[in-house]
Amino acid sequence: MKIEVHVWDWPLRLFHWLLVLAVVGAYATGKVGGEWTDWHGRFGSLVLGLVIFRLIWGFIGSTHARFINFFPTFSRLLAHLKGDWHGVGHNPVGALAVFALLATLLFLVGTGLFANDDIAFEGPLYYLIDKDFSDKLSGLHIRSVNVLLVLVAVHVAAISFYQHVKKTDLIKPMLTGKKQLPKSLAPSSAQPVGVLRFVFSLLLAVTVVWSVWGGDPLKYLTPLAGVQTAQANGKS
Amino acid sequence: MKNKLAIALALGAVTTTALAGPVEDQIRFRQSAYSFLGWNTAKIKAQAADHPETFNKDQVIAAANAIAAVANSGLNELYGEGTDKGTGWKPTRLKAEYFEKQAEVKEIDATFIKEANELQKVAASGDVAAIKTQFGKVGATCKSCHDLIRVRE
Repeated sequence: MKIEVHVWDWPLRLFHWLLVLAVVGAYATGKVGGEWTDWHGRFGSLVLGLVIFRLIWGFIGSTHARFINFFPTFSRLLAHLKGDWHGVGHNPVGALAVFALLATLLFLVGTGLFANDDIAFEGPLYYLIDKDFSDKLSGLHIRSVNVLLVLVAVHVAAISFYQHVKKTDLIKPMLTGKKQLPKSLAPSSAQPVGVLRFVFSLLLAVTVVWSVWGGDPLKYLTPLAGVQTAQANGKS
Repeated sequence: MKNKLAIALALGAVTTTALAGPVEDQIRFRQSAYSFLGWNTAKIKAQAADHPETFNKDQVIAAANAIAAVANSGLNELYGEGTDKGTGWKPTRLKAEYFEKQAEVKEIDATFIKEANELQKVAASGDVAAIKTQFGKVGATCKSCHDLIRVRE
């Protein structure tokens, strides 16, 4: 007897699939270069906003979004390896991958903000440091892409292993938020999403992205609102 | 007779080095060329892409002319034997593989020249959107070369 349990809240799912879009977009535009390099910066900014959001959501999101509920402690990992782990969110090994992915993305975004390509692109915070340091960070940025590729490959391989070998569908729950679980295991559904908490996380993420661009997004929004831009040449 | 031969050899050596110069000179010249390119690409990027409201046709034409001039200046002469090691203004970042990847290098060089010449034409038209697009194509050739034969920091 299986029952349906609500596991992944909608902000988490939205985060996940937007992150897929942003990472694929950033990777592709980074590879192509040329005129697409500006889009690399935009996708990178989306990654930044999403990761910041996820970090906050890891503390104030609903049950299975919270880091404390799936942090891969040694005892949890050991239990999982022995087959004694019976949670419903990220399993401890999966949790390792989650944290590794978040850390890698944070590193990529952090270095990207200060990077330059020695052609025609500079990250929005490039002007804060000297060129030599930016060159170093740019090198690290490109090198760490390999780490990301490995982690993504492991992530996708694990899901396909669950799909085909263990016959457990992990993709659909990430779309619908619901998992079919044996009644004996099933805990109560995740607590509902706190709307205020969501708005708070979103605003904080947007503010960070906004700030690194020095308020540039304002320039695109003000003409829409018919507001006269009084902004002089901010950059010189 | 022997003397004449020695003089001829010496002259030959002088003319060869005069073309490209010692390793350090070649590295310094090419680093200067790319640094000069950087000034001009930055100008076009700023005026045609990032801040089109600052577009200045004359400056962009001048920058495109400079880029085309550098592209057509025969930069490959500055990549003589042994120039994968050495210091110009700073240590070179040329990969040793440069010398094995001549077919690809030549292709990139030809594309760079072609796109830079096209940019020069487009710049003269003053069409900001077209300049931006063509500038992107030039930038892509820079990247293809960096990816192929430039040591990452």
